[in-house]
Amino acid sequence: MLPKVLEKSKFAAFATALAGEYQVVGPQLKEQSKAGGETFVFGPVTDGAALRMDYNITLLSPKKYFLPMRETLLKYTTVGHPKAEAVMDTRQRVIVGAHPCDIYATWLLDKVFSTDHKDPNYLSRRERALIIGLDCAKPCDETSFCHDMGTNYVESGFDLMMTDIGEAYFVEIATEAGQALLAKAETREAHNEDFAKRQAFMERKQGGFHKRIPVDTKYLPEILEESYDSLVWEAIGRRCFSCGSCNLVCPTCYCFDITDKLNLDLTSGTRERTVDSCQLDNFASVAGGESFREQRSSRLRHRFFRKAKYIQEAFGRKGCVGCGRCDRNCVAKINSVETYTQIAGSR
Amino acid sequence: MSAKPKLAFFSFASCEGCQLQVINCEDELVALLGAVEIVNFREAIDERRDDYDIAFVEGSITRPEDEHEVKEIRERAKILVAFGACATIGGINAIKNFQPQEKVSQYVYGDQAATFPSYPARPVHDLVKVDLKLHGCPISKSEFLEACKCLLAGKQFTVPNYPVCVTCKLAENVCLYQKGMTCLGVVTRAGCDPMCPTFGNKCIGCRGLIDHPNVNAAFDVLEDLGLTLEEVTKDFTMFDGCHKEITEKK
Repeated sequence: MLPKVLEKSKFAAFATALAGEYQVVGPQLKEQSKAGGETFVFGPVTDGAALRMDYNITLLSPKKYFLPMRETLLKYTTVGHPKAEAVMDTRQRVIVGAHPCDIYATWLLDKVFSTDHKDPNYLSRRERALIIGLDCAKPCDETSFCHDMGTNYVESGFDLMMTDIGEAYFVEIATEAGQALLAKAETREAHNEDFAKRQAFMERKQGGFHKRIPVDTKYLPEILEESYDSLVWEAIGRRCFSCGSCNLVCPTCYCFDITDKLNLDLTSGTRERTVDSCQLDNFASVAGGESFREQRSSRLRHRFFRKAKYIQEAFGRKGCVGCGRCDRNCVAKINSVETYTQIAGSR
Repeated sequence: MSAKPKLAFFSFASCEGCQLQVINCEDELVALLGAVEIVNFREAIDERRDDYDIAFVEGSITRPEDEHEVKEIRERAKILVAFGACATIGGINAIKNFQPQEKVSQYVYGDQAATFPSYPARPVHDLVKVDLKLHGCPISKSEFLEACKCLLAGKQFTVPNYPVCVTCKLAENVCLYQKGMTCLGVVTRAGCDPMCPTFGNKCIGCRGLIDHPNVNAAFDVLEDLGLTLEEVTKDFTMFDGCHKEITEKK
């Protein structure tokens, strides 16, 4: 389908029009520091003007709309004949402004939640969600290492992809559903000069990203394999709080815990799912009190192995998209680029 | 246990604010009273009976006469719940543990100090077996209600063994460290639905340390941010003075 051009001045009206039919979620300002630094989150909007398409990165990725941090899976009652009723989120949702890295992460989560056991709650949300991507010309900040992970360009996984070409967005249409969405916007055909501007954007983008890990990340699975007993894990583990922040903000982490919550009548309740973290003390604890990863260093190593080796082996792509959220949120300042660099260098 | 389990609340060295939190469960009180009978609750009712099944014990143990009383409660109760920071970790009262006891007594009681003997504050589990700890200063209402439901249903109530950071991430809070502040949330047990960080205040550790906290890393991080060892220790001894990880640091 041929691309269209959407003037920036008409973007807010487009998002507002979508909000009449869908739950529209997109980047918004969460907090502004005294020094002027801004922190963004994805959140629902009814007025498209609230969207901050100039955002760099959000605290949590759009994953929270597919695998919420907390969700109710079912409601049950044990009075008489026990009954359980599944709780499904069937809202039609449009995610606006997802960056390529977060779109890659969604691709991975789709694989995870549709392989073997098909997760009905994830899939229900995912099938009802449309994604309007927003391309980026430069890394979010100095913490990003998306170029190393090869996620700063995406070819699929979105319905529309917008590129900033100055006064307007160049909108690629990837799906029919995306085309139907765009029908709600006042767009025009893309002319030669629009294509040229989009080309110029791509050239700027090529110059805007630099690799930060000295080794090609395609070798990371083997490098990690060799590093299993490296003292580097022990050294970094000493600094680690095992607080789980890295996992909880990660766009590709998908571990969760399920608990039943009783109502005060003690005969009915809900089954709740909450995202979990392999860094936490009790994560690998089992009945009898045994824990398979008792040491902070082994839990930390496990996370890096998941990100750059195990998930690659299971699903064909790395479990890390290089967004850097883990590093930004690490109080101990444990840094992925430094860790991979040290591991590669310590062989 | 009979059809309607009997609950009792007791307090030792504390402000009774945790008991007040029970009364604050306004929306759920009617349902709670439908499920239990409260037989001893100085904060709210006149009745005082000793035929309780579950005893909620608030406060730290800091006087010789407390010992006898808490042991008696333990003997009577089928289940004993340490209720609030003073009871679970010594809490604020343990600040005095780091000062000369005579000086502390004189500061509070003046020339009557000898009439009110007291010693360093101890959490309830130092004296008697505790079946469940509900942490916090004050306790969390929702955690109290969850624990009640579990106790009544004979289901295990799991006290979180993860730090406040987890719940801050669930709430999508901006990390206070990113705002140039400090926070004890990295080693402090969660369960507070992180009220303090959510409203821009640092976690002061009222729920005590998680199991196996990386206290060394916390001291390193806080000192890197310009706090002196004395300041960091002061932060940690506000509530966590009875934790061996902190006393060893002292």
